[in-house]
Amino acid sequence: MGHFDPYDDNGGTVAAIAGQDYVLIASDSRLSTGSTILSRFTPKIYPLSKVTVFACAGFHGDVLTLVKQLEIRMKLYVHEHGEEMSTKAMMALLLPTLYGRRFFPYYVRPIVAGLDREGRGLVASYDPIGTPEFFDYVIQGSAENLVHPFLNNQIGAKKTLSDVPIQAPPELTLEKAVKLLKDSFLAAAERDVYTGDTVTLMAITAKGTETTEYQLRRD
Amino acid sequence: MALSNICGADPAWECGSFEAPTPELFGVDYIQGKTAISALNCGEYNVGLSLPTLDAHQKIVQSLLEAPSTDLQLQQGAEHTKTANPRNLFLHGTTTLSFKFQGGVMVAVDSRASSGQQISSQTVNKVIPISKYLLGTMAGGAADCTYWMRVLNRQCRMYELRNRERITVSAASKLLSNMLYGYKGSGISIGSMIAGYDKRGPGLYVIDNDGMRVAGNCFSIGSGSPYAFGVLDTEYRWDLTDKEAYELARRAIYHATMRDPYSGGNVSVYHIKETGWVKIETQDVSDLFYKDRGIPVTA
Amino acid sequence: MNPFSYNGGVCVAMKGDKCVAIASDHRLGAGRLTVGTDFPKVFEMGPALYLGLPGLTSDSLTVVNKLKFRVNLYELSENRKIKPHSFKAMLEHFLYEKRFGGYFIAPVIAGLDPDTDEPFVTAMDMLGAGETNEPFAVAGTAEESLLGLCEALWEPNLKPDDLFETISQVILNAVDFDCLAGAGATVHVIEKDKVTTRTIKTRMD
Repeated sequence: MGHFDPYDDNGGTVAAIAGQDYVLIASDSRLSTGSTILSRFTPKIYPLSKVTVFACAGFHGDVLTLVKQLEIRMKLYVHEHGEEMSTKAMMALLLPTLYGRRFFPYYVRPIVAGLDREGRGLVASYDPIGTPEFFDYVIQGSAENLVHPFLNNQIGAKKTLSDVPIQAPPELTLEKAVKLLKDSFLAAAERDVYTGDTVTLMAITAKGTETTEYQLRRD
Repeated sequence: MALSNICGADPAWECGSFEAPTPELFGVDYIQGKTAISALNCGEYNVGLSLPTLDAHQKIVQSLLEAPSTDLQLQQGAEHTKTANPRNLFLHGTTTLSFKFQGGVMVAVDSRASSGQQISSQTVNKVIPISKYLLGTMAGGAADCTYWMRVLNRQCRMYELRNRERITVSAASKLLSNMLYGYKGSGISIGSMIAGYDKRGPGLYVIDNDGMRVAGNCFSIGSGSPYAFGVLDTEYRWDLTDKEAYELARRAIYHATMRDPYSGGNVSVYHIKETGWVKIETQDVSDLFYKDRGIPVTA
Repeated sequence: MNPFSYNGGVCVAMKGDKCVAIASDHRLGAGRLTVGTDFPKVFEMGPALYLGLPGLTSDSLTVVNKLKFRVNLYELSENRKIKPHSFKAMLEHFLYEKRFGGYFIAPVIAGLDPDTDEPFVTAMDMLGAGETNEPFAVAGTAEESLLGLCEALWEPNLKPDDLFETISQVILNAVDFDCLAGAGATVHVIEKDKVTTRTIKTRMD
C-alpha cells in the first residue's frame, strides 16, 4: 500500500511590514515541488478587499482553497452589510477557518495584512491551525529562518510582552520599508533554493495600492 | 449582536485575540457592532465559535497522517525541516506554574513559543483570562489552548447567565476536562492549569488533553517545569506573604528559563484574589539575569 | 537525539579588509538542559589562525587536541608557522580518515596568511568537504539564521572595527532565534600583528 501523503511543500516566502500609515506586503514568485520549478511567476499575494490582502506560502493547493473560502466570506459579507470586511475582522475570521480543519490541517503559512479604519498598517501571521501573532513585521515560508533575524535586527527594537508593537516606528517610512524587504528577498534568494525569480511588493496606503516588481536570482 | 452585548463577553475573546496586549485590535470592530462578530457568525450564541469536526472520515485521514509529534523535535538540515507536514510547524515549549497560598492563587508563565529548535516568538501571552475570577495557563499546542480556552470562556459565561451565579473553579475545569475527553487520542495537545477564586475560596486544577483533572496546591507544567519545581518546592509555604509569593513565582519561572532552552522571553505574574485576578508584572528574564549580577541593562 | 544539536552552539567567520573575524556563542547544553554558559567554541591554533568547532562537544575537544598535535608536529618539521590553507588541508584529511563514523562537528576556520595577509575563512562538513571562495562561513544550530544575516549585512572591504560590528550583529541576532545557542558570545578580530578578543552580551534565556 502506498503511503497516504496529501501534502506538498511548494516553497516560497511572504513577508509584510505594518507602518504608521502604510502596509507593505512582499512575496517571491517561485512555485516549486522538490527540486522542480513549477512556475516562475506565481506571486503568493491575494487581495481580498481594497485595504486587505492575504499572502500565503506552503502547499499551493491548500492555499488556493483557503483563498477561495476567504473570498467567498468577503463577498457574502459585502452583500450582507453593504461594505467590505475590515482588516481586523478578516484577521479574526482566519482563526476559526484554520482551526476548523484541526484534524486535517491546511498546510499553509498565512499572513493577513492591511489598513485599519484609521489608516494604520496591521499585519498578522498564523501557524497552520490558526495561532495568530500580531507584530510590526511578519515573515513566513521557506526563507523564514534566514530573513526573520535580519528583519528583527533592522526593525525590532527591544520587544517585551507588555509592549508588543503592532506598527513599525514612524522612522521606518514606506521608502525604507521597501528597501528593507527588497534586501531581505535578495538575501533570501541568494541562499534559499525555493525562493527566487521575482519579488512582488505591494504597498497599501490611504491613497491606494501600488505594486512593483524586482528581479531576483532565477537559478 | 444584541445578545452579545447582554452577555457582556470580553470583546477580545469574541474575536479571537491571542495576545493579551492587543484587545483593542479587535475591540473597535466589535463595538461598531457589525463587522467582526458577523464575520464569525457560525455558532448558536453568535459568538463565532464552531467546534472542529471529528467525523469518521477525518478520523481515517488522521490515522493515515503521520503520528503527531508530541515531542520537541530536534531537527538538523534543511531537508528535514522541509518535510511537508503541517504538524512540524505547530508551536510548542513552555514553563508555567501556579500555586495556592494564604493570599489566593499565584499564576506565572514564560512567553516563548518555539517550533523545533527555532524560536518563533518571545512575546506570547500564556495566561488566558476565562473570566474576572478565572485564569487558564497554556502549555502544549498554542492553537489548541487558545481555541479551547475560548470555548470554555463561552461555556462559563453561559453558565453564569443561566444560573445567576459565578461558576466554581471545580466546575469550570471539569467542563474543559470533559470536552477534551471527547477528543481523547485525536492529537490535541493541552496542559493547562485552571486557577481562580470562587465561593469555596481559592481553586487550582491541572487538566490535560487525555482527560486528566487533578486539584492541588502547587503545580508546574511544560518543558521547564522540573526546574521551576526545584525552586518552588524549596521555598513554598502556605503562609507566604503576597510579596514573597510574587517573588517566588517570578524566581521559579526565571530560573526555569535559564536552564530550559525551550522557555524564555518574559515572565508574567498574576495574582488571583477574592476580588478577581490582577496582573502583577511582566519582566524580561534577560534583564532579571543582568540585574541579578549588577550588570547594567541596555535596551 | 541528533548529535549535532545535542550540545548546541554556533560559529561564524567573516572576511574583512586585511583582517578576519570569528565568533561563537557560550552556551553548552545537554539535550534539554543548559549545563554551562561559559563555553566558547573557538580554539586558537596559531598566532593568526582560529578554529571554531560547534557540534558534539566531546568530539570537538578530541578533534582540537588531535589537530593541535598534528599542527605542532608540522611546525617542528617544517620550521615555520602553518598557513590557513595548509591547516584546512590537514583538517580535511584528518576528518576523512574517519569516513565511516566521523566526528559530529561542523568546523569553521578563520585565519590570515602569514606571508600575504590575505584573509581566509572556510566552513566544512563533518567529513571535510569545504568551500573556500565564500566571504563568510557559518556553522552550528542557527546556521540558516546566520547565513541570512551574513548575506544581508556583510559587505566587502570591512575595516576591523566595522567587521567586529557586523559579525557581532550577525551572531547576536542569530542566537536570539535559536533555542540551543546563546548565553553570550566571544568575537576574535584577527589583524596582521594583533588579535582583539571581545565578549559580547546576549540574551541569557
